Amino acid sequence: MPEKRLTEVLPGTLDMLILKAVSLNPLHGYGVLQRIHQISGEALNIPQGSLYPALYRLEHQDLITAEWGVSDNNRKAKYYTLTPAGRQRLREETAGWYRLSKAIAAALNTTREEV
Amino acid sequence: MFRRLRSLARILWSRDQFEEGMSDELRFHIEQYTRELIGKGVAPQEAARRARLEFGGVNSVQEECREARGLQAIDTVSRQFRHAFRALGKTPKFTATALLTLAICLGANLAIFGVVDCILLRPLPFPEAERLVTIFNSYPKAGVDRDGSSFTNYYERRGRIPALSGLAMYRYETAVVGESGATERREIARVTPEFFEVLGARLKGRSFTEEETTPELNSVVILTEAWWREHGKPELGTQIRLNGVARSIIGVLSPDFHFLSSRARLFLPLSSTPEQRSPRQRHNGGNARHLIARLKPGASLNQAQAQIDAQNAALGAGTAEEKMEIEAGFRSVVAPLHADHVATVRPVLLWMQAGALVLLLIGGVNLTNLLLIRANSRVKELSIRHALGASRMHITGEIAVETTMLTVAGGLLGLAAGAAGIHLIKFLGADRLPLGSAIALDVRIAGVCVAGAVCLGILFSIPIAWFSLRARRTRGAHSDSRGGTSSPAAQRLRHAFIVLQMALSVVLLSGAGLLARSLEQAMATSPGFRADHILTGEISPAWAKYGSWQTRLALNEALLRKLSGQPGVAAAGLVNNVPLSGNDGKSAATVKGRVAQAGESTRGHYAYGVDGEYFTAMGFTLLQGRFLTGVDSRRNDRVCAVDEDFARYYWPGADAVGQQLFRGSRQEADSEAFTVVGVVAAVKQAGMTELAAQGAVYYPYAHRGDDRLFVAIRTSVAPEALALALQKTVREVDPDLPVSNIRAMETLISDSLVTPRAAAMMAGIFSGIALALSAIGAYGVVSYSVTQRRREIGLRMALGALPAQIRTQFVNLAFRLLIGGILIGTVGAFLMGRAIKQLLFGVSPAHVPTMVGAALLLVLVSLLACVVPAWRASQINPLQVLAEE
Repeated sequence: MPEKRLTEVLPGTLDMLILKAVSLNPLHGYGVLQRIHQISGEALNIPQGSLYPALYRLEHQDLITAEWGVSDNNRKAKYYTLTPAGRQRLREETAGWYRLSKAIAAALNTTREEV
Repeated sequence: MFRRLRSLARILWSRDQFEEGMSDELRFHIEQYTRELIGKGVAPQEAARRARLEFGGVNSVQEECREARGLQAIDTVSRQFRHAFRALGKTPKFTATALLTLAICLGANLAIFGVVDCILLRPLPFPEAERLVTIFNSYPKAGVDRDGSSFTNYYERRGRIPALSGLAMYRYETAVVGESGATERREIARVTPEFFEVLGARLKGRSFTEEETTPELNSVVILTEAWWREHGKPELGTQIRLNGVARSIIGVLSPDFHFLSSRARLFLPLSSTPEQRSPRQRHNGGNARHLIARLKPGASLNQAQAQIDAQNAALGAGTAEEKMEIEAGFRSVVAPLHADHVATVRPVLLWMQAGALVLLLIGGVNLTNLLLIRANSRVKELSIRHALGASRMHITGEIAVETTMLTVAGGLLGLAAGAAGIHLIKFLGADRLPLGSAIALDVRIAGVCVAGAVCLGILFSIPIAWFSLRARRTRGAHSDSRGGTSSPAAQRLRHAFIVLQMALSVVLLSGAGLLARSLEQAMATSPGFRADHILTGEISPAWAKYGSWQTRLALNEALLRKLSGQPGVAAAGLVNNVPLSGNDGKSAATVKGRVAQAGESTRGHYAYGVDGEYFTAMGFTLLQGRFLTGVDSRRNDRVCAVDEDFARYYWPGADAVGQQLFRGSRQEADSEAFTVVGVVAAVKQAGMTELAAQGAVYYPYAHRGDDRLFVAIRTSVAPEALALALQKTVREVDPDLPVSNIRAMETLISDSLVTPRAAAMMAGIFSGIALALSAIGAYGVVSYSVTQRRREIGLRMALGALPAQIRTQFVNLAFRLLIGGILIGTVGAFLMGRAIKQLLFGVSPAHVPTMVGAALLLVLVSLLACVVPAWRASQINPLQVLAEE
C-alpha cells in the first residue's frame, strides 16, 4: 500500500492541519483526511481512528462548528467549518509553527565553523 | 470554560441525538473509504473489510469522541446512579425505612422552619425594616410592664429625638363601613400623618396632612389595595361612609402593604384635642395607642433609648401624680418593631425548632446505624469487586452516590411531608400567631431542604465509606466465614449511636410530657367564673350616633331589655371588656385616705364598666356584699365592686364593703369617691396562665364606658345556638350595629390556649416519631446481632442451650442499651426541663412522674421491638446452620 510510505503526522500538529483544511472550505470528516493528503502533496496521512476524537475536541473548544449537509453522492454528512475563534487559533499556530521550524532548521543547518 | 460548559450542556440536552449523529458520521466515513477503495479496483467485500480494519475499533473511537466532549465523567456518574438504584431496590425494607425516616425528620424540620422563617426571620415587608422600632411606656412597679404611649409623648418627641428620622402613632379600632342598611364592620387603624412615610410604604394619592389630625377636619380615608379592589376600584376623591360620616378617599396603599398582623383595611387620621396633648396627659397612654419610629441611618437603638431617657428625665415630674408614675419605675422602652411584635411566640417557636432538630439528629443517627449495618453485610461484595480492580476512589464514589440518592429522595418526600406539616401547624392555630397569616412553604425553603439533603448524603457517606474501606482492608476476601463477628470498634459505635438515640428520645418524650401537663393545668385552671353556657359578642357603637352618655345608656337599656326577653337567655349583661378578649390594659385606682407606704407606687388594675346582669350572666362568685346591676347604672350612684385580690391588697383582714376609692392615681374630692358594695372572685383577664394577682375594679357602665361594648349572655341552651338570635336582636335595636366576634366563652378560653396547645401537640407528634425511630433502631441492632451470631447460636443450641436462654441473651443486650440511654436521657430531660421553664405552667421542670413515664414508655416500645429478633434467634435450627458451613 502506498500510504505506508507516507510520513507520520508530528504529535501536536494534527489540530493545526485540521483547522487549515476546514479553513479552505467546509468539509466532512472523510473530506478532511483527503484534503490534508492533497494539500500536503500527498505526503501526510492521518490515522483514521484519531481524526474524529480530534474533530470532536475542536468542536468542543468552539474552534470549528458542525452542520448536517448533503454530500456529493447525495448522502447525509456532517460538515465542519472554521469559527472566528478557530481562525484566530490557526493564525497563532501557523506563526508558532514557522518560528519553530525556522529555529529547528537553523539548528540543523549549523556547521562546525559557525559554532 | 463557559463555552465548553455550554457545549456540554447542549449535548446533554440531546444526548440521543448526539449518539445517533456520531454513529451516522462514522458509518459515512467508512462507506466513503470503501467506495474509494472500490474505485481503486479492490473487490467490494475486501474493500469493506479493509476500510473497517484501517478505521480501527468503532467503539473505542466513539469512546474517545465522547471523552473529547467531556461526557465520560457523566457516563461514569450515571452508571453509578443506575447501580445505586439497583442496590437500593434490592433491599426494599431498608430503603423504605430510610426514606420514611428522612421524609418525616426533614418534613418536620421544614414545616417548623417554615413557621420560624415566616414569623421570626423574614424581615417585615418594608424597606430597611431593621431600622423600624416601637416605643412603649412601662411602669413595672405598678404591675404594668407595658402601656401604650400618650399623645403628649408623641408630640413631645416628634422631631426632638436626633436618632429618629420619623415618629408616628397608631391605634386599632373597628368601624361600621357603608350606607345605612348595608353596613359591614371593619377593622381600621387611625394613624398620624407620617405613619406611612416612617414605614416606607408606597401609596397612590397622598398621605394625611397635619391639619387633618384635628377632630373637625378629620374627613379623609386611605384604603388598602385589597379593599379598594373589592369595592369596585373607586376613584380618588370618592366618598365612602364610615361610622355614618362621609369621608373622601385620598390614597390607596400598594398591594404588598402589610402592617404587622393587623387586618385593618381602612386608615383614618388619628386626631386629638389640645387637651389630650397637654403635659397633664403625659402618662395617660392606655394600652391602645402605639408609637413606631425609624432610626436614622447609622443611629443605634441604644442611642435612641438614651435620648428618650434623657428627654423623660428632663421633663421631670411636674405634679404629684407624675411623681408617683415615675416612682412606679416609669421608663419609655425602645424596642425593634419586628422582634417586639413576635416576642411572645419566639421562645415557643425556637424550642419547637430545637425539638425538630433533635428529631433530625435521632433520625440521622438511626440512618447511620442502618447504613453501617448494611455496609457490613456488603463487605464481601466490595472485597470481590476490589479484587476485580475497582479503585478506592470508585468505591467511595459509589457509596457517596448511593447515600446521596437516598437522602435526596428522602428530601423530596420530606418536601411533601413539610407541605402537609405546614397545613397541620396552621390547623393547630399557627396562623393566629403574630405574622402567622403569611405562613407558607416557599421556593427558598424548598431549595434549602434539597441542598440540605445533598449535604446530609455526603455527611452520611463519610463514616460508611471509612468503614467499608477499613473493613475491606482488615478482613479482605477471607470474610467468607459467616459467623465472624464484626469488629468490636464498629459494634461499639453502633451501640453508642443507639444509646444516644434512646437518650434523645427520653428528652423529647419528657419535654412533650411537660408541655402536655402544662396545657392540662392551664385548662383545668378556673377562669374565676362559670365559663359554660356563656355567649359573648362585641359591638362598637359609632360615636357620631352615640356620642353622649344619655344615648349610650339608652342603647344599653334597649339592648338589655330585648336580650333578656329572648327565649333561652337566662341573664344578659354588658361590659366594656370581657375576660380573655385580648385587651388587658390596666388603669389606676386610688383608695380614699390611703397614704402610700415608702417605696410603694401606683398599681395598675383591670377596670371594668358593667351594666345589666353582667355578674350573673358570667357566673361570678360573690364573696361579700352584692353584685352591681343595671339599676346602679340607671341611678348613677357612685358605687363599685372590687375583686378579692384588690380587697386583700388594700384592706388585708378588714372589710372591703363600705370602703371608698377614686378612679385615677390621685386623691379627689369626696364627691368623686366610689363606695365598694361587693367583693367578687378574681377572674383571668390576660390569659389562663396569668399568675399576677393584679386586682380589678368594676364600676357601673355609666362611669366607666368606652367605645368597646361586649354583650355577655348566660344561656339555658347551647350558647352557639343563640348566635343568630343575638345578631338579630341587636339589629332590631339599631340596624347599623353589627355584632362581631360572637363566641362561646369556652371557645374564647380554648382559643387563648392556642400557643401552648400547638406546642404540646407538636412536641407530642415529635416524641411519637422519636419513639418509633428508637424502636426501629433497637430492632435493627438486635436483629443484626442475631444474624451475625447465627453460627454461635447454632453451636450453643446443638450443645444443649435452651431457646429461652438464647432469647434472654438478646433481650439483655436491649436492656443494656436501654439503661445507658435512659440514664443519659434523664439527665438531658432534667436540663431541658429547666431550659423550657418559661413555657411551663403549674408543673415543675423536674417533674419526676413525667420522666419516669417517658422512660417506661421507651422501655416498653424498645423491648417490644427487640422481642421479634430475639424470638427469631431462639428459632434457629442448629442442623441447618452447621450445614451451611
